[in-house]
Amino acid sequence: MEIESEFVFDGPRDTVWRLLHDPAVLAKALPGTRRFERTSEDQYEGEMEVSVGPVTAASFSVKIELTDKVSSERFTMLVDGRGNAGFTKGAARVQLLDHELDRTLMRYRAELQVGGRIAAVGQRLLDSVGKSMTRQGLEAINHHLQGREPPRRALIPRPAALALGAILLLLLLLAVLL
Amino acid sequence: MSVRHFGKPVVRNEDRRLLTGEALFVDDVHLDGMLHAAFLRSDHAHARVLEIDVSGARAHEGVAAVFTAEDLGDYWQPGPLLVSPPPIERLEFHQATQVPLARDKIRHVGEPIAVVVARTRYEAEDAVALIDVDLEPLDAVVDVEGALVENAPRIHEHLSSNLAAHVIQEKGDYQAVRDRATLLLSRRFLYDRGVSASMETRGVVADWSAKSGELTVWDTTQAPIPIRNGLAGMLGLSESQVRVIAPFVGGGFGPKIMMFYPEEVLIPWIAMRLGQPVKWIEDRQESFFATTQERGQVHDAEIALDENGRILGVHDVFLHDTGAYDPYGLTVPINSQCTLLGPYRVPNYYSEFRVVFTNKPIVSPVRGAGRQHGVFVMERLLDLAARELGMDCSEIRRRNYLSPDDFPHDHEIIYQDFAPLVYDSGDYLPALDKAAAMIGYDTFITDEQPRLRAEGRHVGVGIVSYVEGTGIGPYEGARVSVERNGRVHVATGVGTQGQGHFTSFAQIVAEQLGVEVEDVEVVTGDTGKFHWGTGTFASRGAVVAGNACRAAAAAVRGKVLKLAAQLLDVAEGDLELTGGAVRLMTDPARTLSFGALAIQANPLRGAVKPGMEPGLEATAYFGPERGSTASGVHAMILEVDPETAMVEIRRYVVVHDCGKVINPTIVEGQILGGVAHGIGNAFYEQLAFDANGQLLNASFMDYLVPTATEVPRVESDHVETPSPFNPLGIKGVGEAGAIPTGALFAQALEDALDLPGLEIVEIPLSPNRLFELIREAGTSSGGKRSRDNVE
Repeated sequence: MEIESEFVFDGPRDTVWRLLHDPAVLAKALPGTRRFERTSEDQYEGEMEVSVGPVTAASFSVKIELTDKVSSERFTMLVDGRGNAGFTKGAARVQLLDHELDRTLMRYRAELQVGGRIAAVGQRLLDSVGKSMTRQGLEAINHHLQGREPPRRALIPRPAALALGAILLLLLLLAVLL
Repeated sequence: MSVRHFGKPVVRNEDRRLLTGEALFVDDVHLDGMLHAAFLRSDHAHARVLEIDVSGARAHEGVAAVFTAEDLGDYWQPGPLLVSPPPIERLEFHQATQVPLARDKIRHVGEPIAVVVARTRYEAEDAVALIDVDLEPLDAVVDVEGALVENAPRIHEHLSSNLAAHVIQEKGDYQAVRDRATLLLSRRFLYDRGVSASMETRGVVADWSAKSGELTVWDTTQAPIPIRNGLAGMLGLSESQVRVIAPFVGGGFGPKIMMFYPEEVLIPWIAMRLGQPVKWIEDRQESFFATTQERGQVHDAEIALDENGRILGVHDVFLHDTGAYDPYGLTVPINSQCTLLGPYRVPNYYSEFRVVFTNKPIVSPVRGAGRQHGVFVMERLLDLAARELGMDCSEIRRRNYLSPDDFPHDHEIIYQDFAPLVYDSGDYLPALDKAAAMIGYDTFITDEQPRLRAEGRHVGVGIVSYVEGTGIGPYEGARVSVERNGRVHVATGVGTQGQGHFTSFAQIVAEQLGVEVEDVEVVTGDTGKFHWGTGTFASRGAVVAGNACRAAAAAVRGKVLKLAAQLLDVAEGDLELTGGAVRLMTDPARTLSFGALAIQANPLRGAVKPGMEPGLEATAYFGPERGSTASGVHAMILEVDPETAMVEIRRYVVVHDCGKVINPTIVEGQILGGVAHGIGNAFYEQLAFDANGQLLNASFMDYLVPTATEVPRVESDHVETPSPFNPLGIKGVGEAGAIPTGALFAQALEDALDLPGLEIVEIPLSPNRLFELIREAGTSSGGKRSRDNVE
């Protein structure tokens, strides 16, 4: 599946960049995250629990690697998530641009393969849940930016999000979650 | 004979058991100490297996054992090739059959990698989740055309490409007639995959008794005897040590005759190894990957006609998707190739196909078994030609039918049973006329349709023909015996998956022996009761096993008469069999009941004379030299809402010729079930694979099977041209309802929508897809499609 979208953060690029690389922030932003940590400069690992439609509480282990990094400008995330309900594998390109009022425009484009039970029986939900979860994760980071705790959201079923490094969210969300 | 049973709408013997929950299905088997198996299946369609770590699963609570390919040792072997390629010149075939557990490579999503056996299915599934598999994903081959391009990823390393087979069959000289054709019409036709969606998924229970040295296997198979024979061979047992029971089975439709599924190979082996009974029941989601599927083909076809709309020849080149393996040989594409000729006189035919491996679940026959594709291509070519020639769709068929004088008709190519494609008998025009009359074809076109169109409604009619090769050999057998209680016992080797064998076989036997149908008890699918035969497939149960039942019953009748004549001291010719007794026609008071005769036939003193056998029992076999060709016409009136592309079937008529009808109620049931399958196949059911070979709709939430609201009342009638190839004169009917439905939908939809640019050349459709086609065809209307030429 492909996901392409953008998001505006209420903060400057270097701050956004930092948050997107802070596992603690990311873990908090992602509801299903059980563990999320940086294992080396550009590598992260995590465990998450995801539910998509009829696939409930599936646990995934996720590895993320950042490449093509240009500080405060762009990076590419390679995501490899595996669990007993399927897998996700792919890459997301993330670009940060200055935006009016000292804000940051993030453009992202992810291409993900999703397989296994999640793809087989959760397909109908992948797209919409993926997008909304991604958004939710990004908003959580944005709230953090604004110095607030991420709000608790109860409305959307909370598949866990996958964790991701930056857009890990996305990916994960997308990927796994979805 | 006083009462006739054959041909009567007798109430089914098995219904009481089925309706009161007394019928045994595989999942009803519960044994002491029984363990439960669950499989780890691949999430990837194409991958190399690097490492499998089962230590976590082995340590899980309740787990008795975990096996991977490596643990199977010498027992790990690719499955057998079920049907070897037919004797066709220049035929190329590359064998690659499925394996019990993936060893080095994964070739489709859902391919089993490991099996866990535990106290409960819950524990087994939990342990499956703990298995760690390291796979190296490979690019998947999904599209049949893409599979053959030069640098396509190769699915089987031992082969030089993804080509599984290449076959050309030819009669006459198509190129020569092509030059003198008035009309040449060529199109590309697509047919895509679905599942059989039987109500009962697959299941296997195995129990090894060390004390008796016997293995008992309950299996949802359509072919218990070949399964027994194969298991004995694999497990190093004598065939007499293995008993395979296919009890009541909730729908077969073809996939349950695939042999051997990995689970069928593994569960008995595990039961022997652990010394405990083991059960595995396929869940619905597994069924979408682990049970065989059908129907992916791409045809490039051309028809040549003269100015009168008579077929000069057909040229067809197609690709057939066999999935990851080809254990079923060429049965499906050969059926497509042969069935394309339909009920028509086709003097020149060139048919060439390539079978292609893809990273998708295995393809084997599913109700229709390739016939749908052939019928779709031919019927569509005729419809499109009729449109070009300004001729009515029923008229072009009329002009091309074989006539009753043409039989037996040799099409000069080889059929799936390795014999020449020879139609035994048929008379197609009366079926067309009857169907047209039943649906009011002419008045619909002249009166009703113009009126409805004037109201802005889009209602169309379709009428299509098909033939169905049925009842092929090699043989089946039956044993009939009169019991001491006067009841008649019949055992035959075919399995039953809802076809009504307990009744139709009973009718055949009752007819011979003059007993009531309910006094004939039929056992099918238990190798402990009868162990010669092949199985239930190719619409052959009634034809082949039915004629074996008849032969055995006739032999018992002979024994009954002989013994009774001796005891009553009269001539056999003076006796009649009626009401479960033999009586003297001239003096009905002189009578002997079957029970009394059975006791006399098995004496405790005296001597059974040389040349005589004890008991009133006989075993007989029947093996038709060739299959019998059933045929039929389906007609439909259908309304479409062009804005939503939703359809409503207003009338559905089937006129079918299955030779002599044993039981009209059962035949109607078979046809109705087939039509339901056909409607699903035509307009709702399609497996969606992504470019990586992931199946995206592996549940009934997303894979739409028609429900009661989509399946109309089917009005059916029969014509009877008895088959000369078997004594009962019968032909098969199990697949008939499902075969022409796609072609019928296409014709009726085009007629209903009446858009000049609309040509339906693909099946399955869906409301979504139809909506797109309508949009592509544009909104211009008024193309005067002509049904004017009705004669």
